[in-house]
Amino acid sequence: MEFIVEKIGMSRTVGTKSIPVTLLKIVPAKVCELKGDGKALVAYPRGKKLNKPIEGLQKKYGLSKEFNRFVELKVANSETGDLDLSPLNDAKKVKLTFNSKGRGFQGVVKRWGFAGGPGAHGSRFHRAPGSIGNCEFPGRVMPGKKMPGHYGNKKVTVNAEVVEFDPELGVLVIKGSVPGHNGSLGRVRIVK
Amino acid sequence: MRNRYIEAFEQKQIEGKERPEFRPGDTVRVAVEIREGNKTRIQNFEGVVIAIKGRGAGKTFTVRKIGANNIGVERIFPLYSESVKGIEVVRKGKVRRAKLYYLRGRSGKAARIKERID
Repeated sequence: MEFIVEKIGMSRTVGTKSIPVTLLKIVPAKVCELKGDGKALVAYPRGKKLNKPIEGLQKKYGLSKEFNRFVELKVANSETGDLDLSPLNDAKKVKLTFNSKGRGFQGVVKRWGFAGGPGAHGSRFHRAPGSIGNCEFPGRVMPGKKMPGHYGNKKVTVNAEVVEFDPELGVLVIKGSVPGHNGSLGRVRIVK
Repeated sequence: MRNRYIEAFEQKQIEGKERPEFRPGDTVRVAVEIREGNKTRIQNFEGVVIAIKGRGAGKTFTVRKIGANNIGVERIFPLYSESVKGIEVVRKGKVRRAKLYYLRGRSGKAARIKERID
C-alpha cells in the first residue's frame, strides 16, 4: 500500500530510551479509478495549479477544485472514494521516497566525502579532487568518476520503522530522520 | 508558534506527567530510576538547577551539585523523561539570571544562593 505524505518536522519521545521521531502527515487523497492489480488513480491537493486537462479529470471523477494532482498508487480500497488509511494502523516497516534537500553545485569533499588535504604547512592541496585518472592509456576519464557537481534534490528511498500512527490527525510517526525539507511531499510504502 | 501536529504529538506524551514548578537557582531532589541488570532502583540527585532549556517534550534542566572530594557534578535531565520518577523542590533560590553557569567558577561561600521568599 502506498500513501502520499507531507513531512512536518521532528520531535522526540520521552520514554526511558528517548527515540528521535519524524512526523509525516498523510495527505487527504481520493481514489478516482481502480485499475486492477491493487493499483488505482489517486487525486490529491497540492498548490493551486489548474489547467484544462486537470479540470477535465476533475469533471470526469466529480472532484472539487483542490484535488489537482493525479498519481497511480497501490491502494487498499475496493471502490472509489476516500483513500483507505486502515493498513497504516498495523504497519511496522515502511519505505519512504522523498526528494533530498538540494545542496547546489558542490565539491568532492561534501558531495562524495573525499578527505581533502592538509590545510597548512605548504601542502597546496586542500579540497581539490586530485588526479582523475591515468595517462595516455586509457587516455580518458573512467565513467562514473566522482567529480564536483549538483548534489541533492534527488529521489531517495529509505527504510524506516513506524513508531505509531494517529488516525485522528492522520499523522504517521517514523523513527529517525527522513530525507527532504519540512513541507515536502513524498510517498510511504508499507513493507510489513 | 510551532507546528500544530508536533504540538499535538508532544502534548500527548507530556499529558498526565506531573512536574512541580521550579526555576533556575532552586535546589531540587530528582528521583532517577536506574537499571542494573534486571533490577531497578531509585537514586536521588540533589543540587541546584542552573539551567532550564528547550520546550515541549524536549525540555531539559541541568542540576549541579558538589560531589565527593569537592568535585562539581552536573546532570542534565529531560523534564518529562520516564526515568525521572519525581522532582522535589527542596529550597527556592533568588537569582537574577536564567542560566547560572557562573556557579561553575565559584566554590564554597561564593557559590551561595539567597533564599527566595514569595
